[in-house]
Amino acid sequence: MDSKFAVDLEHVVRTYKRDEFEVQALDDVSVQVPEGRFVAIMGPSGSGKTTMLNLIAGIDHPTSGRVAVGGEEITGMKERDLAAWRARHIGLVFQFYNLIPVLTAFENVELPLLLTNLGKAERREHVETALKVVGLADRMDHYPRQLSGGQEQRVAIARAIVTDPTIVVADEPTGDLDAKSAEDILGLMVDLNQQFHKTIVMVTHDPRAERYVDTVYRLDKGVLAGVEPGKRARSAAAEASA
Amino acid sequence: MKYAMLVLKNLLRSKRRTILTVLSIAVSLFIFSALVSLPAVANQVLSDTASSVRVACHNKAGVTYSMPEAYKQRIAMTNHVVAVVPQSWFGGIYHEVSDQFPNFAIDPAQAETMWPDWSVPPEQWKTFRELRTACLVGPGTMKRFGLHIGQQIQLRGTIYRFNVQLEIAGVMGGKAPPNFLVFRRDYMEEAEGRPGLVDNFWVRVDKSENVPQVIAALDEGFANSSAETKSETEAAFVSTFVNQFRFFFQLAEILGFIVVITIGLVAANTAAMSIRERRGEIAVMRSIGFTSRAILSLLLSESLLIGLIGGIIGCGTAFIVLHLFAVGSSAMGAFGDIQMPPYVLVGTLFIAALIGFLSALVPALSAARRNIVDALRMVV
Repeated sequence: MDSKFAVDLEHVVRTYKRDEFEVQALDDVSVQVPEGRFVAIMGPSGSGKTTMLNLIAGIDHPTSGRVAVGGEEITGMKERDLAAWRARHIGLVFQFYNLIPVLTAFENVELPLLLTNLGKAERREHVETALKVVGLADRMDHYPRQLSGGQEQRVAIARAIVTDPTIVVADEPTGDLDAKSAEDILGLMVDLNQQFHKTIVMVTHDPRAERYVDTVYRLDKGVLAGVEPGKRARSAAAEASA
Repeated sequence: MKYAMLVLKNLLRSKRRTILTVLSIAVSLFIFSALVSLPAVANQVLSDTASSVRVACHNKAGVTYSMPEAYKQRIAMTNHVVAVVPQSWFGGIYHEVSDQFPNFAIDPAQAETMWPDWSVPPEQWKTFRELRTACLVGPGTMKRFGLHIGQQIQLRGTIYRFNVQLEIAGVMGGKAPPNFLVFRRDYMEEAEGRPGLVDNFWVRVDKSENVPQVIAALDEGFANSSAETKSETEAAFVSTFVNQFRFFFQLAEILGFIVVITIGLVAANTAAMSIRERRGEIAVMRSIGFTSRAILSLLLSESLLIGLIGGIIGCGTAFIVLHLFAVGSSAMGAFGDIQMPPYVLVGTLFIAALIGFLSALVPALSAARRNIVDALRMVV
């Protein structure tokens, strides 16, 4: 597998058993995402987007095929090793933020750092930096219920980047937000990608997302139906040719 | 330590539920530790008398039958006997019928030799020997009725048709029964009209290895007499009284364990509900890198803490209540107040931890091992 790819999926098949039925969520999908890209996986419901994201995030295993992230093959890793690998390399953002309600914004962001060997002072420094990046340095002591949806998602993004992961994976990060908050979150992700060179893989239904990403991978019925440049890439190419 | 914050935050997530769970465990362990302490009192008495060199010599027909006091001389002449003290049950009450405690009349002459383990100071023994109305009282009885040395008290006869006016000459300590009173038998004899009868003799033997020989000699010596004797070690004599309570003790232990099992099931249900509510959060934590083992440890720590806090409150309250209020002093007779022995304290705390651990084990294992993708799907 080529190490210059942040994500490298080779002939990945994922089949689920639902009662007596067998559902093929992904069928021989091969995708390579170069490092430092901001890409979107798009497609209709049931096309296998989230399954693909889960495989990249190491929270699911392919039925066959190989998955490598950051040059490291994770197929066949034991659950315990995979958990440690996720802690080091993956930043996860969910549609419904999934913050722990009894923890403050600071404590939610600190959560992944509890898995590291960092001391308390270093953890505080990292958390403050991450919350500053997402523009919520003044909301550290707020509980999730005291934040708006957009702010909660920012905290979730801060939690995803606080360990400086190899790749950020986001599952419908704008799915539960109003238009303005959705634009803000997409803008923030572009900043993360451009300023901090984070590779971001995002699953989305949101057509606005196309304007922000480099590449769109289209899935349909578990098959890779197409790979297109995003509008951002197209406008960059147009600017370059002009 | 860095996970302590997580454990505490989760414990305080639903304060009402946590407090109610802690209290239900506390109440059940209060009952359990108090009930299990009952047999401990009797066991302590038996253990205290196990190595005694005292022999109880009573009428072969039963302890309620009397014997001639003239036996004393013959018993004293038996080989290896160092002291003999005749004893008679008076069975008086203090003020009310409910103010009952064991009270006996004994000969004062050799009482100090017979019971050095009562830790009565020599000057108090001296008063007991010199003052005809003197009595010695156990610390439990002193505390129960708020008595003091030098106080004049009256015991109303229930078996005998006379009362005795007594002066407290001293307080028994050491291994003496805590709820107890002894006064002089010559006073009782005089009030009774000198019938010359006693209920039993306490016999002190020089060495423990000579106890069987003395027992055999006494019973052989009084065979075919008007009042044949049955002699037995102090431990055996006491155990005949303890055995009267045995069923009650066993029932108490069974009830205690039923209470614990019941509350264990309630705690398990609460833990299962609490963990079920958080399965989404657990899936998120696992997806960001927490291992199944870490999740399991966190969930079990919470439950363990709830169990231990409940245990400390319940057991601690029972310990204090039993200690302060001398619970059971009338019901337990000469055995003394129900006190919580250290092993019950430690055992109850262990059971508290076990309730906490086991109640959460199954749901915690299930949550920690659940497929992350399936758990996340339930959240969304």
